[in-house]
Amino acid sequence: MSSVLDRLRARIGVGEAPVEATVEAGHLERFAEAVGDPNPRWRSEAPPTFLVALAPAMVHLAEAEEYGKGWLNGGNRFEYFEPVRAGDRITATGRVADVYEKQGSSGNLLFIIFETDYVNQQGRTVARLRGTAIRR
Amino acid sequence: MKLTVGQELPELIKHPTTRQLVQYAGAQGDFYEIHYDQSYATSVGLPGVILHGLLKAAFLGQLVTEWLGDQGTMKTFEVSYRGIDEPGRPYRCRGRVVKVDGDQAELELWGEDSGGNRTTVGSATVEMKG
Repeated sequence: MSSVLDRLRARIGVGEAPVEATVEAGHLERFAEAVGDPNPRWRSEAPPTFLVALAPAMVHLAEAEEYGKGWLNGGNRFEYFEPVRAGDRITATGRVADVYEKQGSSGNLLFIIFETDYVNQQGRTVARLRGTAIRR
Repeated sequence: MKLTVGQELPELIKHPTTRQLVQYAGAQGDFYEIHYDQSYATSVGLPGVILHGLLKAAFLGQLVTEWLGDQGTMKTFEVSYRGIDEPGRPYRCRGRVVKVDGDQAELELWGEDSGGNRTTVGSATVEMKG
């Protein structure tokens, strides 16, 4: 198991390939509808957690799947700098920020901390997301 | 809107269904089977399909944005998933103001399952318009 940990730790700080996507009004609408949030504001503006739907926020790293039997989402932290609106062209760049193992109540857990920066078409960082993925 | 420490946000009660989980899986693009495939979910030790953590985060985001309206904006939003939640049970989203500093305020947020357990805990900082 330690070899999985070593291999994943080698990826800390290494940026993933950027992913570009346009915020589509239809996608905003489907997202708000799935959440059950009727606020008309979300027809043209991104609700607080929408960016995770636009580009991968937490990568389920294939090489981590040798560890344990399933994934859990431990938590998410969003920082907002600028509003995100329909039509915006967003570039998301993710990186593994940390990988560590912890003793859980029913065996060891593997924690992968993933960070994503979201930059709009004007080159302005609109948001930053930190996610904790857990293998158990 | 004048904020005071201890003030509670009007609660938001959600009634997630398996259908909603499928709808959310599509909208987010998260097709991990534990959110819609009962036999897969039980094979990895879960009682059945469970809510996406990020769906619970979205519910808490709705709680805050509905309350804020156009009176302010969220600057940070953090959630930590402490327990699993199954569809078919009400999910109660709550929050309160824990700190006020000028036009900035800190909120404590949480989501409760039908047994009153805080299965999601979180926080947010908001900036109020002058």
